[in-house]
Amino acid sequence: MDSAAWPYLRVGLHGGFFVVAFFLLKRIHDFRRETEPRHLGPARKPLLIPALGLLLLFGAVLGHQGSWQLAGIFRPQFLAFMQTYDRRQFNPAHGIQRGRILDRRGEVLAYSEEADGQVWRRYPHGPAFAHSIGYSHPKFGASGVEAAASQHLNGATPERLESWGELGRQLLTQGKRPRGQDLVLTLDLELQLAALQGLGSRRGAVVLLRPEDGAILALASTPSFDPSALSPALFRGGLAESPLLNRATQGLYPPGSTLKVALAAEALEQGFSGTLHCPAEGYTTSPRYPKIRDHEYYSARRAGQSWSGHGNLDLATAFTESSNVFFAQLGVQYGHDAFRANLERLLFGQPVRIYPGLDRTGAINTSRVPRIADKDRYGLAQASIGQGVMTTSPAHMALITAAVANQGVAMKPRLIATEPTAVLARLMSEATAKRLARMMRRVVTEGTGKPINTDKLAIAGKTGTAENSQGASHGWFVGFAPAERPALAVAVLVEQGGYGSTSAAPIARDLLLRAQAMGLME
Amino acid sequence: MKATSPWDQRRPERELLLICLGGIGIGVILVLGSLHGAGKPLGLTSLLPFLVFALSLAGLHLALVMAGFRGDQILVVAMAFLAGFGLLARTRLGAFDAGTGGSGLADFAFVGGFLAMLAILLGFMGGRYRALAAGHWPWVWAGISLLLVAALLVTGQRFRGAIFGTGFITPTELLKVSFVLFAAAYIDRQAKGLGAWEFHGLMPPWRPLAPLAGVWAALVILLLIQRDLGMVIILGVTLPVLLVLGTRHWGYMGYGLAGAGLLGWLLLAVFQHGERRIQAWLSPFHDPTGDSWQVLQGLSGMYSGGLWGEGFGAGNPEYTPIAESDFIYAVIGEELGFVGGALVMAFFLLIFLRGLQIAYRSRSSFGLLLAGGLTTVLATQTFLNIGGVTKFIPLTGITLPFISQGGSSLLTAFAILGLLLAISDGEPPGTRARARSSGPSPARSRAAKSPRAPARTRKVTPHTPPEGS
Repeated sequence: MDSAAWPYLRVGLHGGFFVVAFFLLKRIHDFRRETEPRHLGPARKPLLIPALGLLLLFGAVLGHQGSWQLAGIFRPQFLAFMQTYDRRQFNPAHGIQRGRILDRRGEVLAYSEEADGQVWRRYPHGPAFAHSIGYSHPKFGASGVEAAASQHLNGATPERLESWGELGRQLLTQGKRPRGQDLVLTLDLELQLAALQGLGSRRGAVVLLRPEDGAILALASTPSFDPSALSPALFRGGLAESPLLNRATQGLYPPGSTLKVALAAEALEQGFSGTLHCPAEGYTTSPRYPKIRDHEYYSARRAGQSWSGHGNLDLATAFTESSNVFFAQLGVQYGHDAFRANLERLLFGQPVRIYPGLDRTGAINTSRVPRIADKDRYGLAQASIGQGVMTTSPAHMALITAAVANQGVAMKPRLIATEPTAVLARLMSEATAKRLARMMRRVVTEGTGKPINTDKLAIAGKTGTAENSQGASHGWFVGFAPAERPALAVAVLVEQGGYGSTSAAPIARDLLLRAQAMGLME
Repeated sequence: MKATSPWDQRRPERELLLICLGGIGIGVILVLGSLHGAGKPLGLTSLLPFLVFALSLAGLHLALVMAGFRGDQILVVAMAFLAGFGLLARTRLGAFDAGTGGSGLADFAFVGGFLAMLAILLGFMGGRYRALAAGHWPWVWAGISLLLVAALLVTGQRFRGAIFGTGFITPTELLKVSFVLFAAAYIDRQAKGLGAWEFHGLMPPWRPLAPLAGVWAALVILLLIQRDLGMVIILGVTLPVLLVLGTRHWGYMGYGLAGAGLLGWLLLAVFQHGERRIQAWLSPFHDPTGDSWQVLQGLSGMYSGGLWGEGFGAGNPEYTPIAESDFIYAVIGEELGFVGGALVMAFFLLIFLRGLQIAYRSRSSFGLLLAGGLTTVLATQTFLNIGGVTKFIPLTGITLPFISQGGSSLLTAFAILGLLLAISDGEPPGTRARARSSGPSPARSRAAKSPRAPARTRKVTPHTPPEGS
């Protein structure tokens, strides 16, 4: 068979088949008198009613079929299904020029381009937004915002009736490629790239958001993948660095000392005043368990020196010095119920989403309130310093930090600019939030956060160094700036980065300084 | 009216069959060319099923001419077109590229279907079909029906929530014929009693109804155990239709509708299986990758087919699960578009309308009931399949007559057509019109078995309308 002529021949045969089929129907109609079964005699009942019934029934089926087959464009969920799950490359749903995805200043983060008679999605910044925007691909489906905002991007949710009509007409005639609507995100290209630059080749995550309205300006997770160049190998799993995992929202890590923000909030709400004795030899709930000690003890031991201990510590000083001994005692003192209630108030185990929909990547993993048996006081002591059974995601910690910066109120985090601002929950009283904010400022001016203290910007925060069974500790920093009138809150996690004060905190500082240079701190 | 030879008389059929073969031939080039383009090895054996198909049609036509068959010509043509369409669709789905390029026995199932149809047609034409209702035969049909279902229950295997027969054979398919034979014969015999409703026409006559309802209920219960919802619906529609046809008492339809509501409610309450299908039907996007996956993939394919499709071989029906049997209509919609689907539906409607016509014109009341019942079975099956695939109704997991893959289903459809054609041949002249075949009358059974009167085929005798109506 000549392959050059085949496409034309095929169209001819295709048309010919229809012509012959309709000709057959016509001839059947022509022969209707001649083929009438007259030898049977006349019909004993009028045929009209059952015949009409059959015609109506099957006509209704055909009409329903047409409402999907021909007018499927008017079924936005159907369109989204096809774009996500239909691998037929010639499906017109894949031919829609989806709207662009823009950052908050109008920089293009994703756009559609026609190549080889097919529309492809392009991502000019490659891996930078792979976890938040996701991808849309005729073979691999869609993820992230691309999946969640599919209807909007396809233009299947037009505001006016004419735009509906126009969209339908374009698809039916298959003439001009229909164009969807643009989508504006709260993300900022510059800050996102700065966050990724800060992480460099290390695995980790950065979340930067505005406490007053929940807008997420940066959501970085490394390592990443290029959504413009997807390959089956990526989805086969088994890659040690799991590039598909959005570490910012889905990664679960022991929060380490950053959880002291939560414990301090609990103590302030309970009206804690006074001191706890924090000796150098540490604290334990039973002689059977190893002692929980402060980091100064280990530093001194490494230097071959002895350390006399903190002695009696008040809450603010213990927070500034990040005393494990203090907070372990505090947690055990308030008990299991108060600990659990506090975590519940801080949204542990609550569903929180950064954009509407049902997919996993759009949800912040708020872990769950860990189950600690009432008898297990040592487990509670460990959990109180963010170790043991405690885990959560960087985005969740950013949300708690943002609530501290926003007088105790957590705003609903959001990635899509048009989504209205909404209160998510009050996590602590205004007074608690204010005192906690002052304590966090002290961490940077005179405590564990000192290495990132700068004259240019009043940063408040809390460092964390979370031990983990798989190797070196994870470095954490959560904070906000400016301390007096917070404009931005941040959470940084560096996997196996060692001390939070030297791994994660500098990334946060550089990012906040960059935001200040962009005029976001006024 | 002038006498015409059978050869002349069946001229329309000849011409229409030739046109039909022309269309199918174009389809064959299209399908095989596309398969070739897709790198499938093709040999002369690939053409074999179509050559056999063409020869079968020719043989069928000649056999009908030689037998002096007067029956419906359009029915034959519509069947031929649909069977050819099915052959094309199944070839396109790769039924013929089994291993070595040779074709399996399953690909020639339609030959068996043609032969069965021809045998039934020749055996029961000339009014001989009425012997099927004579004597103890109704009870034989009832027994066979029960045996068919029971046999499957014993030997079948559970698959996708329902029970299927081993390999090629699903014995319950034949139930469509045997049950209609039983019900039509029984109602024909008891028409008077069944029509005598009590309490001012509010209460159906239980005594004559009981045996019929009993067999029906036993079948339905056995079928429900096998979760064969499609067959339950077919039987559930056929019985009231036959009762109304036989007694002209619309009360049966009322009770039938009430019973259907009750049964539907019971099914949802008892079988999780059914509830999930309803859920997948009402809110398909609730779980698009689970229960609704198949129907949504089918609809996606049809959507990409659009109005005309891209022609056989140009789609990707492999993305629709079990496309070759239950979802073959989605494949047609994908590759030939909305128009292709409408064509298939048009030919099905042609068959149903001709079936109705045969029923209404039949001189014997058993003929009316049998043809009406068989047409109802075919129409219900087609509606359940196409309606399910297009998401008009919930999925019932039933095949499309003449088109879907599957030996038993194909064979049954051809058997049904054979009976319809046999009835359409009418009664031999001289038989008293409109006699109810209640009770074996020696005169009639002799008449039915006697060789056809030679004059019968030569003349189209104008009939006077039978007494009354």
